[in-house]
Amino acid sequence: MSTQTDTGLELAVPPPTPHRSPAWFAWRRFLANKAAVAGGVVMLVLILAAILAPLFTKTDPAAQAFLTQSLAFPSADFWFGVDDLGRDFFTRIVYGARVSLTIGFAAATFSALIGIPLGALAGYFGGRTDWVIMRIIELFSVVPAPLTALLLGALTGGGFVTIVVISALFGWVNVCLLVRAQVKALREKEFIRAAQALGASPGYVIRRHLIPNAVSPIIVGFVLAIPLAMMLEASLSFLGIGVPPPTPSWGQMINTGMNFMFFYWHMAVFPTAALAITVLATTLFGDGLRDALDPTLKGR
Amino acid sequence: MVLFILRRLLSIAFTFFVVSVIVFLMMHAVPGGPFDGYDMPVSKAVRDTLMAKLGLDQPLWVQYVNYMKGVLVFDFGYPYQAPGETVISLLANAWPPSLLLGGLGVLIGAPLGILLGMAAALRRNTWIDYFASALATLGLTIPVFVISMLLILIFAVWLNWLPASGWGKPERWILPIIAYAAIPIATYARYTRSAMLDTLNRPFVTALRAKGLSERRIIFQHVLRNSAIPMVAVFLPMFIGTATGSIFVEAMFRIPGLGSYFVSSIENRDYPLEMALVLMVTLMFCFAYLISDICYAWLNPRIRFGEQPK
Repeated sequence: MSTQTDTGLELAVPPPTPHRSPAWFAWRRFLANKAAVAGGVVMLVLILAAILAPLFTKTDPAAQAFLTQSLAFPSADFWFGVDDLGRDFFTRIVYGARVSLTIGFAAATFSALIGIPLGALAGYFGGRTDWVIMRIIELFSVVPAPLTALLLGALTGGGFVTIVVISALFGWVNVCLLVRAQVKALREKEFIRAAQALGASPGYVIRRHLIPNAVSPIIVGFVLAIPLAMMLEASLSFLGIGVPPPTPSWGQMINTGMNFMFFYWHMAVFPTAALAITVLATTLFGDGLRDALDPTLKGR
Repeated sequence: MVLFILRRLLSIAFTFFVVSVIVFLMMHAVPGGPFDGYDMPVSKAVRDTLMAKLGLDQPLWVQYVNYMKGVLVFDFGYPYQAPGETVISLLANAWPPSLLLGGLGVLIGAPLGILLGMAAALRRNTWIDYFASALATLGLTIPVFVISMLLILIFAVWLNWLPASGWGKPERWILPIIAYAAIPIATYARYTRSAMLDTLNRPFVTALRAKGLSERRIIFQHVLRNSAIPMVAVFLPMFIGTATGSIFVEAMFRIPGLGSYFVSSIENRDYPLEMALVLMVTLMFCFAYLISDICYAWLNPRIRFGEQPK
């Protein structure tokens, strides 16, 4: 915009700028990030597919309706082929999205439920509280995660709930660190001081002032916990202590597909691609959200 | 400095203790015992004798104390699944494949990742940058066993260039090393890119440019050195993580390394082996973090041990 007033050539009056909220700017930044938008769209499609699965699949995911065509390759009738037990593979992949997404969201919710209060406590009180919580986090960073997950899986017999618990157990650390950093940065701000001076209790300050101001790291931590949980589900199913059959889970399908890989490639390729695409889309979406909500973190 | 290391050693000892107690309890809380297997059923009398011989009939805390006494003098006991050996000798055979392949994966992957990250930072917002970022995101989001499977499928099954699995001849190492290298490449590309971009924006780079230094000298002598700190800090933990967290790659490529013992020790309730694995890996991680912290401070004199800025 040219404002060369001193030369007297023209006097450009800036148009009245409407008041824009930070959320509006974040939204604009998010839209500018094509990879993140693509990730978000893919996530949306997957969620819709998972919810509406019965509407566009042939059979029940556990129905062995096509036993005579077992292990058939992909065709117009069976988009992703038929698996070794005569089940339509496309149906199973779509229903697998339900399992993966449910586990992802449940684990992320629990991660947030553990991570937010602990992060807020560590950041707000500092000192000894902080030390204890940081030592707990340190414990989780030195313990071999796959082994602990295996052990917990053996302890509880595996299954849906176990996977959510294990994912949350390892997922809360990130949420906690993000919230802690934000709370620590805000703790010395004037409005917190003012609240304290007015006699607000620590619990009140944390609930009313600190956590609402830490919403962006919380959202980011939540979204980025989803792909981690989905990967863990797949890994544990791969090791045989995941979601028990016949519930379709991608990790379990990859595990089965491995045995048929040399002759029936579709058994391995489709669940692998499904898992990779989902995790990738969620991560891109989460990364984009982080960059949009907090531009100072870009590229970390 | 000495005080800092001493404090960290104390903290490591504490972590070690807590991990050992928790894992020991969890391990014994898993239902079933080492001789309840279906493939080789033993009579109750035999099982009782075996349990008594191995001290498994004693109270849990006595077992814990006895085991940890051994650990302090590096005696990790006898694995139940191979009674003729000690845990140490069993693991001594399993370490080399894991260390060799995992180590080579990191040693090859880290420089590649650094180069990729440098290229991305120096040619920002060009196709190189997008390619590097895409690769880094893919490497971190696709589970390692999926990468392994794709490698086997493409190079062994379809193209028939390389053997799919096994151990021994060096050509069998290529695919697992690529699988291992995926995470280091991705991590390093990301770290290097963001560290270099940070450094490139610092005023001293502008000052150097104003002084008339060649771009090459600025990049290699100044920017790279100043961005190297985070790269050094993540190296050792990643090395340990890759070499020990290899259940999936080893399972996929049928490599006789540590990974298989992680699963079999838990499945067979092989308590001494299980404890040994957890404790060794935990200790290695602790020391990896300690050493990288020391390197970090040594490279960056602005960080002083113990003094926490108020």
